[in-house]
Amino acid sequence: MAILSRQRRRSRALMIIILLLPSLLVFFLYRGVPIVWNLVLSFEKWNFVDTPKFVGLGNYAKMFSDPIFWESFKNTVLYFFGGSPIAIILALGLSLLVNKPLKGRNVYRALIFLPYPITPVAIAIIWKWLYDDKVGLINFILRSLGLTKQGIGFLSNFSWALPSVIFTTIWQVLGYFVIIMLSGLQTIPDELYESAGLDGASAARRLWSITLPLIRPTVFLCFIVGIINSFTTFDVIYVMTNGGPGHATEILVTYIYKNAFTYNEIGAAAAMTLFMFLFLLLITAVSNKISGGEAGGVNYYE
Amino acid sequence: MNRKGVFRIFDHLVLVLVSIVMIVPIYWVLKTSLTGENLFNYPPSLIPRNPNIYYFVDVYYWIPFLRYFFNSIFVSMIVVLANILFNAMAAYALRFKFPGKKLLIVTYLGLMMIPFQATIIPAFLLTKYMGLLNSYMGLAFPLASTIINIFVLKAAFDSIPGSLFDAALIDGMKEWKILFQIYIPLSKPAMATNIILTFVWSWNNFIWPLIIISNKDMQTLPLGLSTFLSYFENTSGQMYAFVIMVIAPIILVFFMNQKRFMSGMISGAVKG
Amino acid sequence: MKRKMQWVVFVAVALSLSAATVWAGGQGEAASGQGPKSITVLTWNLPHYADSINGWISEFQGANKGVTVTWVDKKGTELPTYYQTQLAAGTPPDIVDIQGALWYQYAKDGIFMDLSPYFQKDADMKTRFEPNILKAASMYQGKYYMVPFYTPSTVLFYNKPMFKAAGITSPPTTMEELVADAKKLTHGNVSGFITLNFDWLYWPLFRANGVEILNSDGTKAAFNTPAAVQTLKTLTQLTSSGVISKVSWTGRWVEPNGEFGAGNAAMLNAHLPALKAFESQSTWANDQTVGVAPFPGKWSVPNYHGFGIASKSKFPDVAWNFVKLITNEKWAKNAASVLGTLSGNSAADTSLISDPQFAKDNPVVAESFKVDLSEAGNLTGITGTAKDAQVKDAVYSNIQKALFGQVSAEKALSDAEAAVNQILAGQ
Repeated sequence: MAILSRQRRRSRALMIIILLLPSLLVFFLYRGVPIVWNLVLSFEKWNFVDTPKFVGLGNYAKMFSDPIFWESFKNTVLYFFGGSPIAIILALGLSLLVNKPLKGRNVYRALIFLPYPITPVAIAIIWKWLYDDKVGLINFILRSLGLTKQGIGFLSNFSWALPSVIFTTIWQVLGYFVIIMLSGLQTIPDELYESAGLDGASAARRLWSITLPLIRPTVFLCFIVGIINSFTTFDVIYVMTNGGPGHATEILVTYIYKNAFTYNEIGAAAAMTLFMFLFLLLITAVSNKISGGEAGGVNYYE
Repeated sequence: MNRKGVFRIFDHLVLVLVSIVMIVPIYWVLKTSLTGENLFNYPPSLIPRNPNIYYFVDVYYWIPFLRYFFNSIFVSMIVVLANILFNAMAAYALRFKFPGKKLLIVTYLGLMMIPFQATIIPAFLLTKYMGLLNSYMGLAFPLASTIINIFVLKAAFDSIPGSLFDAALIDGMKEWKILFQIYIPLSKPAMATNIILTFVWSWNNFIWPLIIISNKDMQTLPLGLSTFLSYFENTSGQMYAFVIMVIAPIILVFFMNQKRFMSGMISGAVKG
Repeated sequence: MKRKMQWVVFVAVALSLSAATVWAGGQGEAASGQGPKSITVLTWNLPHYADSINGWISEFQGANKGVTVTWVDKKGTELPTYYQTQLAAGTPPDIVDIQGALWYQYAKDGIFMDLSPYFQKDADMKTRFEPNILKAASMYQGKYYMVPFYTPSTVLFYNKPMFKAAGITSPPTTMEELVADAKKLTHGNVSGFITLNFDWLYWPLFRANGVEILNSDGTKAAFNTPAAVQTLKTLTQLTSSGVISKVSWTGRWVEPNGEFGAGNAAMLNAHLPALKAFESQSTWANDQTVGVAPFPGKWSVPNYHGFGIASKSKFPDVAWNFVKLITNEKWAKNAASVLGTLSGNSAADTSLISDPQFAKDNPVVAESFKVDLSEAGNLTGITGTAKDAQVKDAVYSNIQKALFGQVSAEKALSDAEAAVNQILAGQ
């Protein structure tokens, strides 16, 4: 690396600041300020009309002793561990497939991506029907194949409910993962493969030694996306089960929403938001550290 | 058939299977948009009975469709352009070593973790304070840059050899010019991903316009239609027709970007 | 050391900038309210009622020069979010149309104005509404907060051809008959009975067996009784055998109506708006085939819409006068006939019920009005507490567990009781 002159360093520093400024401004205003707002609110009780009342750690105390809060937290973690690894592995496999020079791969890519941008509420309603134990398509098929007579209550059975919701979200979000993975795959320079090919490396070898290591930043990204999704997917669950049956599919976000906009307890909702945020921050910081500290980034040539 | 051919068939088989699973629910959305039938009719029928375009026509005439369509397109364009620019700038900055970089990365990652519901009220108050209620800028601003896309670009930038950068410097190119003339052109797939994802998020955005737009002329398409149909409690043919109409431009954007940027491996020379 | 300093500086800068922004934003706006009087009215999911609402506005503006009325409409799922954002910003609509029991919380928190003085002054306002309906729609802790707008409550819809085919000559009038009929009507894919479950709409099943939700002063749960356990056990058994459709407990609005409209259930316990919802999705339902009857014991759960006035409204008198106008006999009658439910305004409702033309054009609707009105003295599913939403969730989520066989009925009810008592105590 060239040693820079003092003036060069100054102008580079200035350039870096300017480069970072616009995006940081957006995030500061629309994410930074809100999280501070939530922080302040988490210590208060507010009815939206009068000045907020300071209640110290009251909201947090209530939150930690609320069994529904803990169940939501547990469900959220299950949701993440149950869904993301499968989604990431599937996405990796699929993107490797559609990156090959296959005929019609653009069509396949479009079909895989298609579920992602569809209005989540429409998805929830259709999947609710698909899962219906009497008239739904899935049970209809299972019955025609003779695999069940009563029909499986995907959304009414306590053990099936969360996995069913997880499956629907994987279905919806797979295209998102695939498109990110594709982008990562396509940044791997062709010449790396070519020279490996010339050296006589087999396809499996190439996959193991070139693709997988170099796609690490992308996998890390998908991991983060997976976390975010499982902690923030709201619409689909709200419409499919509203957290039910019981609270079997209640995740933190749906419970936060209920507290804020149905129970009118915005202070409590803010406390939960803070908890969630700090928890996620912790996971992210740890995973970042584990993967090398640069959001999984790799240096190709150094 | 040689081994390559067998693999090819297998590849296609897997992809077809996956595509079917992806498509089935969407097919039902499409079917209901053409027939308006009750989802719960049993047994479910594969073929649409009495298909017609009545529901699509209805939707078109119920609302000032073109006006809302234009609003959505305009806002999405602002958002996409802003994203490409701001995200590339940020990703480029992250290419350099500077004090606090690791902290900044963790900050970026952390800021991604904030659920949207938690930001609605403060975001509204801020937008109001800036005088941006009921405006295109107000609609576009919160989405003008997205952290995931910064990292997607960063991954692409990371793969550009440092030697290229050094050579350009020696040639006398200004550092910021290198961003535009070398890095961006060499990151086509990442740019495509940026465009597609940003467009989807902006186009589908519903809650934000709901909160800040009270002027009927400024409504975006999803918001405009929802004034007639409740998403949550309505399953009429019109609702599904609308869902189909809303997704059509996204498919277009997807294909356009695919063709130009994301061809991926073209040569069969790279086996596998 | 340097790293630590960076952290500190970074956090300090971020916090102070955020604080500055939040503080500056909180400075708010100069009180608007000088100049022409203007009020905003927020309605709950009424785009199809636009013509009438514009009629309200032009009539009111015509009679009150210098007043402008703005109309905003939001869907039920979006209205609370929208309304609270507006409240937080200091610009709430003056008049808000609220469904169900959400307004108790607003009354308690002082978000809605206590309208008792207005009712006192305008005696006509008190008398124009059916007394039971007014009480359920408007009173919280002895004071009036809401003005009834349209007031449906639950009835029993049934599929007449199915009844005929099963040899049942008249709809059930007791719980025993209901269960027996439901069993008779269950065949193949069809369940004998289905119900809506949100907002306490399923409660007649319990109340008809003598179970109340809360005690008389609303301080403790009163539903954990042997009768309730027995009822829950019966419901569980009927659900698992398919006599009661599972969708009663997993669906919300779309699915139960969809099922009934598709002919997958013979009886539907729902409030009046369900009629339009399931008819539109049905091939079997028409004026001859849809039956309406009171639920056994005539027990009925209200799901009313009423107008509240914001406590911080700048023109409360104007708002009151507007609400007075739009709930008078003429407009109430219009609301009832267009929206297909009772309006709560006695004169309007009885005139429609006794109107032969109305009965001729909308026989099922007219019948449903009659049935609904006959149940007005037997309203149930009302908690009267500001914590209604939480109590409702606590009770229903536990009942659901029992209904799907996850826990015993006894455990479900005692868990629910403990949860509810905790909620009520934490007020």
